[in-house]
This record gives sequence, structure tokens and C-alpha cells, in this order.
Amino acid sequence: MLARAAENLYWMARYLERAENTARLINSTTDVLLDLPHGATLGWDTLIKVAGLDESFRKLYKTANEDAIMRFMIEDERNPSSILSCVKYARENTRTLRELLPEELWERINSLYLYLKDNANQTLTSRRERYIVLQNVVAQRHAIVGLISGVMAHDLAYQFIRLGRNIERADMTTRILDINFAVSIPKDMPLYEVSVERLWMSTLKALSAYQTYRRLKAVHVTGAGVIEFLINDERFPRSLEYCLKEAESCLQAMPFSGVVLSSVQSARMNLQRLNASDLDSGELHELLDVTQKELGLINSALATQYFHAYDDPSKTSAVQTQQQA
Amino acid sequence: MLLADSYPFITHNQLIMKIAHDEYQKIIAYDELFSADLTPRSAAQPLFDYLNALDETELLARREAVETTIMAMGITFTIYSEAGNIDRAWPFDVIPRVMGRSEWDPIQAGLKQRLKALNLFINDLYNEQRIIKDGIFPAEVLEGSVNFRKQCIGVTPRFGVWAHVCGTDLVRDKDGTVYVLEDNLRVPSGVSYMLENRQIMKRIFPEVFRTTNILPVDDYPTQLYHTLAALSPRPGDQPVVAVLTPGIYNSAYFEHSYLAQQMGAFLVEGQDLLVGVDDVVYMKNIFGLQRVDVIYRRIDDNFLDPEAFSPDSILGVPGLMRAWRKGNVGIANAPGAGVADDKVVYAFVPQIIKYYLDEEPILANVPSYLCMYPDQCEYVLNNLDKLVVKPANESGGYGMLIGPRATQEERDQFAKLIRANPRNYMAQPTLEISTAPTLIDGELAPRHLDLRPFVLQSDKLYATTGGLTRVALRKGSLVVNSSQGGGSKDTWIVEDTSC
Repeated sequence: MLARAAENLYWMARYLERAENTARLINSTTDVLLDLPHGATLGWDTLIKVAGLDESFRKLYKTANEDAIMRFMIEDERNPSSILSCVKYARENTRTLRELLPEELWERINSLYLYLKDNANQTLTSRRERYIVLQNVVAQRHAIVGLISGVMAHDLAYQFIRLGRNIERADMTTRILDINFAVSIPKDMPLYEVSVERLWMSTLKALSAYQTYRRLKAVHVTGAGVIEFLINDERFPRSLEYCLKEAESCLQAMPFSGVVLSSVQSARMNLQRLNASDLDSGELHELLDVTQKELGLINSALATQYFHAYDDPSKTSAVQTQQQA
Repeated sequence: MLLADSYPFITHNQLIMKIAHDEYQKIIAYDELFSADLTPRSAAQPLFDYLNALDETELLARREAVETTIMAMGITFTIYSEAGNIDRAWPFDVIPRVMGRSEWDPIQAGLKQRLKALNLFINDLYNEQRIIKDGIFPAEVLEGSVNFRKQCIGVTPRFGVWAHVCGTDLVRDKDGTVYVLEDNLRVPSGVSYMLENRQIMKRIFPEVFRTTNILPVDDYPTQLYHTLAALSPRPGDQPVVAVLTPGIYNSAYFEHSYLAQQMGAFLVEGQDLLVGVDDVVYMKNIFGLQRVDVIYRRIDDNFLDPEAFSPDSILGVPGLMRAWRKGNVGIANAPGAGVADDKVVYAFVPQIIKYYLDEEPILANVPSYLCMYPDQCEYVLNNLDKLVVKPANESGGYGMLIGPRATQEERDQFAKLIRANPRNYMAQPTLEISTAPTLIDGELAPRHLDLRPFVLQSDKLYATTGGLTRVALRKGSLVVNSSQGGGSKDTWIVEDTSC
């Protein structure tokens, strides 16, 4: 497989995952905001902080109200992580990969793009409309994942897609776990306990993890429980442990993956070692920061190993020795 | 044109489709589907029987479905504009162009004959130049050719074939004669639209394929793959074939990726390839370098290899010509094949066919006046209002003068251009290019069209069944290029019925 194709597959998967995660995050945040007591500081700007887009948002918009933030997160093409941008990039990447992917997949992604382009505006008219459009984005994205797993050969191309999906998913989980760091609920506020519990519930909901958490972990939602669950649970597909384990299995199916693999393993081991229930919010924030950096390192290891190995012209004389068997 | 008071197929109660009588009355061109009295030609009869059975809402619903399908299939072409490159949906007309097989078969034979002769000609030009020595083809035409590549002199590619993929433009004049308008031997495009047009029709009008014997077109990718695979320098049944594209912003990118996908070939850009110290072409793969056997290039000669041609090209692959000259990689079409894709050379094709094949040309050439000859140039200058003047080496309908439709000022301007560089111009009488009914504002209106079949040659010759029909959607327009308001139709070659 072409190095450029592998890179495009990887990023296509990341963009699609990011689009879906953002759609989920917006819908669940809407849901949570309706339940929070007045006085809690969770606001819409939390969303852009989570996504690490605070700075670029401020450059483009004056006020961080719901309307501006939704515009920015959903349909603003100047924001490379807006849902529309992600889907657009995924589509562009798919266009360069049509020969590697099932024919239907292109049509699906193209349709998602056209749907979003036609309807992104709708999301700004009312919360109800927004909910419907974003739900559709999630549903269409699921159809795409279904096609990939059910129709596409589980070959190398597939592994790069799976890898991209899981790295992006892990990244999003670290970001969503970090939301609570950005929120403070005054201790003297009435119903403090309930509010805190709601906040952690919202964390779970943002990852569609609430029901699973209650089934697998506990009925009561506690900070320590949620952190432990989203970091270390082996069964939930959006926990960091699960995503990294998946990434490992993708890499194990690829030749010459040693360096990348060990960067994944070390990130995974760091997380396994910790005792989640002991963390205070500052420590959690730091830990998540480290994990995000480790995910970045995995990215660069992939680039060096697979995507850009031949970009250096001095390496091209090694033609004979590196020929594929 | 004769107009009957009533037409058999519209007296049918259900047929709602209206014919734009006013427009049909005004034109003298041959219509592909209607005879002079506006009754369907026999090959088109089953189509109209089918259309008769659809009511208006049904037809409009299908037409809408076509548009949605085109968008969803992402069949687009790119228009370059000031506002950046725009992806436009491929403009498609639902009324197909229909031709009987008995008419098509000789055309198909003529196309193969033509490409075979042209390939012998190109190979001769780059080697012995017998045709010049024998006084059939003038040396000065070759000297003036901008597409003759001295880097190719002395090379004989596999099978002596240079142009492996040819898109031949055909038009029909008012008397029904089919003429070759030009041979596109460089990087002809459009075949993916031919294939997708059929896909669309099958999705939207599946019933008609059951009742009419429409010959399939979808073996083209397989034939193209065989044509390319035969060029592999390494014997073996799985050569590595790559489609070389300038990239996502090229107007034909859709086609490049489509063909790669259909053939199961790699789609590569220049940056994905390198030529090693061993003069072999490699792809930069994730686990190392993989040898490439055949390149179906969709990049112009000049951008192919910065070492041999335009040094500032970033699209190409340094050293590619070296690898090709050494026979380490097959390139289709071969560099330099465009020498025969020249409107002045075009005028000599009948002689070329006779010279190399000792056969009479099956397909007619449009009579051509070459401005390089003073007497013919004089004729052209004196008759600019009757002629179509074309620059020798432009494609896409750019830079030509349609005399009868031009203003005096435009003609004067062109006369200057011709005098300044006579070798670069040739002229032809204005043909009354045929029309076919096209759905415009709910009516069947005559629109001019051409036909581009695709012909393949390496160890074998192959021609598509039909081709890409391009139609000028603007009323009265003769320009069918998609960049200038053209659209397309599905092209049906149907088994002639005995009745």
C-alpha cells in the first residue's frame, strides 16, 4: 500500500470519528445544560475548551454564546475540527482512496457530506432541529463504520482505519474526562452533591457510556468511579484502555510496527499503573495532559515509520535493500 | 424539416412528453432519434415505446432521481474559476442517444483501423521515418509539430504501440455521414462518464433494459487493464499497474480515481514514485519500495519528468524517461504519442491508413485545408465566414473560430493569427452537427452532440461499444465540452430488431 494512502486512510478515520464525537458531545451537553442548577459554571465555552479550540474560536468570534459556538463547532469551515470540516476532509481523503475502499463507502461519505452541507444551517435555528441533524450525522457515520467492518476486506487498509478511529477516540475520551476540570460548582450551593453527580453523568453521556457504566460498574455515579471506568475498563469501547488495546492489535497486524507499538504500550502501561480513585481533579488534568502528549507521539511514530519514510531524498539510494518481498 | 400534424407516439394518450416543434422546425441537422417527420427512427422505437408508458410526474420524478443519484455517486468535474475550483455535478440528460448495431459495427471497425495506422505512423516518425522518405508525409509538418519529442527518438515501445488509449471524436453531418473530427492521443478523458452514465440509467430506468437489447459497456475497465498489463516489462500474471494523476485538483481527478478503482490499480501522484539508481520505477509503500511495471499516466508529456522535460514540474517523477527508455516500465500513452494528435497531422490520416495498412479508410475524415500551404491558406482567408478554423495543438474547444457565427472583427483578428503562424492552423467546412432530443424545460428539444468512443491497443485492439455522447445543452450551441456548458447522455448501441 502506498504510504500516502495509508496516511489518508488513517486521517479519514480520525476525521469521521471526530465528527461523530463532536456531534455526540454537543447533543449531550445540550441535554446536561438543561439539568444543571443556575450558578454552575459549565457553559457552552466548555465545549471549545475541551476541543482545545479556545484560541482559534476567540480569533473568529467576539462572544462565546451558544449561537456562535454552535456555528463554530458545527458548520464553520474555518475551524478545521468543525463537524462539516471533518466530514469534508474525510470525503477529500476518501476521494484519493477510492481504489482501496468499497465502492459504496465513497457514496456514503459523499452523502453524509452533502446532507451536512445542506442541513448544517438548520442546526442554528433551534435546539430541536440541531438535535435531529446531529443524530443523523451519528447514524450515517454508523452506517459507514458498518460498511467498513462488514464489507471491506480486513486487510492493512482496514487496520489503518481502525487505528485512526481508536487513536481519535482515545483522544476524545481524554478531552471529555477533562471537562470537569473546567467546571466548578460552588460547595455551598444547594444540591451540591446532586449537581456533582449530574456532572459526572454528563461526562458518561457525552461518551454514550452512562447505561454501560450503570450495568457494568455501579448504579451510583461517582467521580472516582467514572474516571476509573473511562480510563481502565476493558470492556467499554471508548475507555482509554480499550482504545489503546485496539490500537495495539492493529499494529500487531502490521509488519515493522515495533517502534509505534512500543509507544502505544507505554501509554497503556502508564494508565494501567495508576489508581484512579486517588486522583484529585488537578492530578487528573495533568494525567490526561500527559496521555494526550503520548497520543501525539504515537502519531509522529506512525508518520516516521509508515507515512513519510521516503520523503528524505537521501534515503532513496537504499532502493535495493528495502524492496518489498 | 417536415412537420406532420400529429405524431404517432404523441397521439398515444399517456405520452405527455412534448416536442419543441419550433426548434425542430428551424434546424436542418440530422436528428439521431427522429426522422425528418419527427417519428422515431427504428433503433429508437423501443425507447419511445417505453417513454410513452411513463406519465409526466413519473418522468420528472425519475429525472430528479437522476440528479440525486449523480450527487450521491459524486460524479463531478472541476471547473477552474476565480473563486477557486468548484466541483460541479456532471450535467446529464436522461434521453439516451440510440444507434443500431448494424450502423455501429463498421464505425467500430473504422476506429480500430485508424488507431492501428496511427500507431504505425508514430513509431515510424520516431524511428526510420519511411513515410517522410517516401514523400507521403511532409517533413515540414513534423518540424513544426510541438508534440514531437526528440527525447523519444529511437525508442520502440512494446508492440510498437505508442497510443494505447485513444479518444476519437465523431460527428454526423446533415446527410447522415459520420466523420472523425479528431483523434485524442495524449490523455483523452471521459470514459468514466460513459460508464457512470450507464450506471445511472440502469438505476433509474431499470425496466427499459429488460425490454430493449442494449449492449453493455462495462467491460472497458477490464479491457483497459489487459491493455496496460500487456505492457509490463516483467512477465507474470500480476504486474503492478498504477494510474498517475496530477492530483485531486485536476479536472479529471474523478476519472483517475474511478479507473484505478475499477481496475484494481494503484492511484499514484508523482510524489509517490521514485526512480532508483537502477533506473527502475518504485512506489513509496508503507513497508518499503515496490516496483511499478506499468504507468497509465494522466499527466501531459511536459510534466512527466522534470529531468527530461519541464524542469520545474512538481507533478512528475524525475528519471521516469530514463526508466522508460531502458524498457523498465511501460507508460501509456507513451511519451511523444501526441505527435499524431495534431489537427494538421489529422488531415493526412487517410493517406497514413493507405500507406501503412494498404486499406481504404473506413471512417471519413472532414475535408481539411492546411494553412501551411499558401494556396490552401489563401482559400481559408477568403472563406473565413464559411469555415471552422482550429489551432493545431489545442484541445477542449479552446482557441477556435467558428466562422459563420463569428463577428467580422473576430474573423479579422483570426486572419492575423493565421498569417503570423500558418503551420499552426487548419480549417474545415462547417458541418451541420447532428442533434438528438434532449429534455429541456419539460420538452424534447434538439441539441447538438458528438460521440467519443475509446479505442485501446497494445497486443490487441479494442473499441468501446458506443462511447461518451457529449451534448451542447445551450440552444444552438455547438460546443459540447463540459467546461463550456456541455452535458452528456447515455449511448445505447442496440441489437437491430428484425421487424
